[in-house]
Amino acid sequence: MANIAAQRIKREFKEVVKSEEVAKCAIKVELLNDNYTELKGEIAGPPDTPYEGGNFVLEIRVPETYPFNPPKVRFITKIWHPNISSVTGAICLDILKDQWAAAMTLRTVLLSLQALLSAAEPDDPQDAVVARQYKENLEMFQLTARHWTSMYAGGPNVNTDCDSKIKRLVDMGVDDHQALVALSSYNWDIERATEQLFS
Amino acid sequence: MASSANEDVKGSTGDEGHNSETKDEEKKDDSIFECNICLDTARDAVVSLCGHLFCWPCLHQWLETRPNRQVCPVCKAAISKEKVVPLYGRGSTKQEDPREKVPPRPAGQRTEPEPGTSFPGFGFGDNSFHMSFGIGAFPFGFFTSTFNFGDPRPAAAAHGTHQHMEEQFLSKIFLWLAILFLTWLLMA
Repeated sequence: MANIAAQRIKREFKEVVKSEEVAKCAIKVELLNDNYTELKGEIAGPPDTPYEGGNFVLEIRVPETYPFNPPKVRFITKIWHPNISSVTGAICLDILKDQWAAAMTLRTVLLSLQALLSAAEPDDPQDAVVARQYKENLEMFQLTARHWTSMYAGGPNVNTDCDSKIKRLVDMGVDDHQALVALSSYNWDIERATEQLFS
Repeated sequence: MASSANEDVKGSTGDEGHNSETKDEEKKDDSIFECNICLDTARDAVVSLCGHLFCWPCLHQWLETRPNRQVCPVCKAAISKEKVVPLYGRGSTKQEDPREKVPPRPAGQRTEPEPGTSFPGFGFGDNSFHMSFGIGAFPFGFFTSTFNFGDPRPAAAAHGTHQHMEEQFLSKIFLWLAILFLTWLLMA
């Protein structure tokens, strides 16, 4: 790995560890290997959003050309968000692509991702199904995102109605994640979700 | 996890040439002279017109990485190589412009060819004699263009290729056009 990339990650790592956001438990970074190429990030769901109370784990890969090229970041924790793939966790955020600037750091990237959770951009979607729901039925989107947060990110808001619908599909022999995806995609209409799962 | 990594960080930064065991307060003072790209104390320091400090090698590499989008890595203001100001401290012995130094770069650099020197053929020398008709106000123009004095031309296409056939066809058309034009001139 290029020397400058490792040196920078070392310094940034110190910066994040000392930052006030860590003190407030808003962001967290851990090293996954000794040569500073793979890290694990963690952000707290911002307050007053469906992600509140959840902890979202991120995979951060630092390229050899860092900081001249952006780090590769994706969500490991499954999340329902217009700009994040509900399947792969891939993120659609300009600063992780062409708007990257060399002075940005792990800390600013994590804070930007946290900001993305509070302000979705449904017109520039990564997940078309989620974005459509966001634009057509915001309430349904918030309910779904809150339920995903409770299932995968340890969020406190369990929706018993959603849970019972998932349970009904699981009882039919469907995997619980598949059931959640089908129900989420069809606005929690259990008939259409069943139809889609068994067709 | 965090504390063990911190020790590791301190242990392996000895090659930077400045003491990493200094206290945090002293470091805070230093940090205003840190390069915004490598986060180390800026060497061969340059300042952009928007006021941001960089090592010249770092900024150079950033500008090389995005030749089409030359923006300040901090504030995204437009910047260019020509519009950065080198900083000379009192202690620095060399007073040369840090911008003159080109840092070591990754392989695969290429320079653009200079325009106009890459014509494949030069007139008579290499099998590329061209016939052409031209009518100028001065009758000798006809001869100069026919004998092609000193005028570099691209080589003719190889025999049998599609381009060769096309060229032959075009030259025939122009020959007939020229003959028609000449007869029209004589008749008029």
